[in-house]
Amino acid sequence: MLAVQTIADGLVLGGLYALAAVGFSLIFGVLGVVNLSHGAIVMMGAYLTWFVWHTTGLDPLLAIPPVMLVLFAFGYVYQRGLIQLAVDRSSLLASMLVTFGVALMLRNLLVLVFSPDFKSITPGYAFNYLRLGEVTIDLVRISALAASLALLGALAWVLNRTRIGRVIRATAQQELAARLCGVNARHVYGMTFGVSAAFAGASGAILGIVLPFAPPDEANWTLNAFVVVVLGGVGSPSGALLGGLVLGLISTATSQLIGPAFPNAMMFLILVLMLMVRPAGLLGNAFAASR
Amino acid sequence: MARIARRTLFRLAGGTALAMPALHTGHAQARKLVFGGSVPLSGGAAETGLNVNNGYATAVKFINEQGGVDIAGTRYQLELKLFDDASDPSRATTLIQRLIDDRVDFFLGSFGSNIVLPTAAITERAEKPMVQAGGGSDQIFTQGYRYVFGMYPRATRQFQSTVAFFKSLTPQPKTFSVIATNDAFSKTFAAGIVKDCTAGGFQLIENYLLPEQISDTSSVLSSVRSKTPDMLLCAMHDQNSLLVARQMIATGTNVGLLFQGLGPQLTSYREALGRYANGIFYPTYWDRRSTWKDPFFGSPTKFAEYYAKNFTRPLAYHCAAGAACIITYVKAMQAARSIDPVKVRDALAATDLETLYGRIKFTPEGDGDAVVMGPSVGQVLKGQGEVVYPAGAKTADLLWPVPDWDKKS
Amino acid sequence: MLAEALARHRWWIALTLLGIAAAAVVPFVLMPFHVRVGQMILLSTGLGLAWTLLGGFAGYWSFGHTAFIGLGAFAAGLFEVNALGTEFMRTDPLLGFALGLLAGMAACAVAAALVAWPILRLRGIYFAVAMLGVAQVLSELTNSIEAFQGSLGLVLPRIPAFGLRTEAVFYYLLLIAAVIILAIAFLVKNARIGQGLAAMREDEDTARMLGVPTERYKITMFVLSAALTGALGVIYAHSLGYITTGSVYRTDFSLNMIVYNLLGGIGTLVGPLIGAAIMVLLTQVVLGSFLNLHMFLTGAMLVALVVAAPKGIMGGLAGTWQSWRRRRTAAP
Repeated sequence: MLAVQTIADGLVLGGLYALAAVGFSLIFGVLGVVNLSHGAIVMMGAYLTWFVWHTTGLDPLLAIPPVMLVLFAFGYVYQRGLIQLAVDRSSLLASMLVTFGVALMLRNLLVLVFSPDFKSITPGYAFNYLRLGEVTIDLVRISALAASLALLGALAWVLNRTRIGRVIRATAQQELAARLCGVNARHVYGMTFGVSAAFAGASGAILGIVLPFAPPDEANWTLNAFVVVVLGGVGSPSGALLGGLVLGLISTATSQLIGPAFPNAMMFLILVLMLMVRPAGLLGNAFAASR
Repeated sequence: MARIARRTLFRLAGGTALAMPALHTGHAQARKLVFGGSVPLSGGAAETGLNVNNGYATAVKFINEQGGVDIAGTRYQLELKLFDDASDPSRATTLIQRLIDDRVDFFLGSFGSNIVLPTAAITERAEKPMVQAGGGSDQIFTQGYRYVFGMYPRATRQFQSTVAFFKSLTPQPKTFSVIATNDAFSKTFAAGIVKDCTAGGFQLIENYLLPEQISDTSSVLSSVRSKTPDMLLCAMHDQNSLLVARQMIATGTNVGLLFQGLGPQLTSYREALGRYANGIFYPTYWDRRSTWKDPFFGSPTKFAEYYAKNFTRPLAYHCAAGAACIITYVKAMQAARSIDPVKVRDALAATDLETLYGRIKFTPEGDGDAVVMGPSVGQVLKGQGEVVYPAGAKTADLLWPVPDWDKKS
Repeated sequence: MLAEALARHRWWIALTLLGIAAAAVVPFVLMPFHVRVGQMILLSTGLGLAWTLLGGFAGYWSFGHTAFIGLGAFAAGLFEVNALGTEFMRTDPLLGFALGLLAGMAACAVAAALVAWPILRLRGIYFAVAMLGVAQVLSELTNSIEAFQGSLGLVLPRIPAFGLRTEAVFYYLLLIAAVIILAIAFLVKNARIGQGLAAMREDEDTARMLGVPTERYKITMFVLSAALTGALGVIYAHSLGYITTGSVYRTDFSLNMIVYNLLGGIGTLVGPLIGAAIMVLLTQVVLGSFLNLHMFLTGAMLVALVVAAPKGIMGGLAGTWQSWRRRRTAAP
């Protein structure tokens, strides 16, 4: 029975990891930029949701759309105003340092605005649980998993079925060709970054409901995103989902079998091994086909 | 002489005013008594850092408004010179050295033994005292340092009074499990729990160790559900404590007694859990309603009132501990009739004093005396933190046995 | 080749020797605080140079070099405390420290050699991320495995002061280390391997086709870089006297090594010194007393740096110098 519980816990956790990483994966796949401020954007989402819930009492899950909208705008401006400038003037690797600098600034701003205290979002249903036989899972984690899957599905739909999605994919695969077809590549990069930030914000909202959070947590969410992307593959929601679920399972199984102190070590060990064996991740790079 | 020459040379060489140590202010104005030190205002310990910092600031502001302090016939105004160490030991040691070069004689401490120990090594060598309210790990007090004092007993000694409380309960719990996170303080605290509870005749079922940063405890909790102990004792920082408590409620994991080392003391923790917080036990070092006499503020209540007038941030016991550091220093200076750091150190070692924070008395190694400065046992009742043990300090009647999560009101 | 390089760079070498002489008198004329700042600058310079052996010369940007600071520190500390024992360290602390230093460097070299082959097959961002992962694995294992004492912390034996103040001792140790690393970097840069590396950095596949033993070269640099970083880690740990996992495995160490190089000018030898000096002075001296904004300002500086001076200060200077010469020669 313990094994079933472990698997259930792992899948629930994995859904969260997946959503928190999908934006990171998208930027990496389309722009080639490693966004070290990803975790900070996740935390911004958590804090904005907390703020809305705390001041208006609005259900945190309902706060997700406005939070996504705000962060979309933030992401677009951030890319057009700063990242693009850094990539043009320096290199992709150096742009990583820009994002690290921004992460420091955002973390400091969160401390100044919201104080360093941890915050937690506890809607009425935060303490209920489901029991199926001997497997117990809290309701809030189940709703988090459901929301994560719904959002990942929505992103997959946007990327595969809408005009902007097609343009993003086209630009990622062949920037020059896309431009020749009249695509404004810079605008597309901005949009991609905006979408990524919006989904980071949504995952922040959902994480905020599940876990207490504080500004320094941002570093963990950036690192988790790394592992998820390397495991699953770059650029696609399905890659992030697979990576997230695998990571969740590894995490709970390690703590059950080896010891609760070891999931992080195992997580990064698998990251390194995976890179050595199959650097493009289990599903490969979604955009690499024609490169 | 050599020192003066060096300073002059430096003043000539030094381009920026910022790079220069601040000059020792002269005799014209009221004399200044400077307390220096680092507080972690960014990074994981920032919450505690801010509380301790506000405690220092409250005491300094209050004393200055009273016209300063009189030490051996001279009036002094107090001044704080603090910096943010960002939980980075190299930054902390460099900046502590700057304060020593600035001839700051009295130090206040940071948080976390990986910061406190390297900085204490510097103040120790310079023979300047450090009174700190942030570090409780054993290593700080086992180096043979003479100038470091702590406002808490060392981590492995903080649990003795609590075991006495467990023994006083009827029906009597018999077994316990421990959950600790993997950091120096929590680990030593957990070691103390296991040692003292085993010595007290309780039987250990399982000792869980979690990573320093946790995002999910479901596997540990499913193990707790399958091997349910009478008491579940948590040694971890407050954010982690809240996560454990939330997941326990949200998975229906019931134990007879839940005790959390850090967390329930905070208003934000209790508000987050609402009615579910009721019945959770925690160690408490301070209560604003207690009847201690303070030489400056008068009483803990008056301290709390004065604090509320100056800060919007909720009062936490670390604020009181921080304020007590300053008061202990000032009283030691008055007792020594001197502001010579070596003499003040001796007076600190001999301190036996009542303050708003309680009675202050240090062991020969510098940490708080385990009996005098050890914690009382608190319990959350009707959303408030109350002291339930020992009988002399209690503010409310104990809720025991504690009902299951879904029967709490 | 070397003689020619020495002749060509004679002015730089003279300037460096002068600089070393000036640095050597610092502890006698400046306040201890400034000696400690100097200590940080030397440590950072050494780290920047050690990183550049691989990152600057071969173009393999490691984002996890703190792995070797931590590994060196803990290997040396555990070796001194457990293998040599307190008695040995008390009677012969200097030999003990030297052995600890060797143990730390050896551990790093061995670890680097073990992962070198598979990990150096990765390029660009994938290598960077893999190194970040290596650092995380080592840090987590140090923290979680009881015997390594990473979470409880390790008290390191004291080393003799030779009648100097502690900060001066470590200042000199770090000065010596930085000078040695500088010399090694100079030799590498001006030897055959250096030219091979430069070719590799531009285009690894072409270099290999032209007969550059790329595999051997990059593995050598990786191991060398790791061992030297480890040596600095050992000295740094002793200067703190007590370390936990968090004090030596720090992601910001890894990133700062890159920042020093980028700021000063990547691939140059004087770049890391300039970068380290500017960063340390700014974060610890100028921003030292900012209670709650220093992190924001540091971040803002990083951003400004990459955007405003993408080639670093040396790169920028070189560019200005060349365009000035061009203008002069172009003028009639």
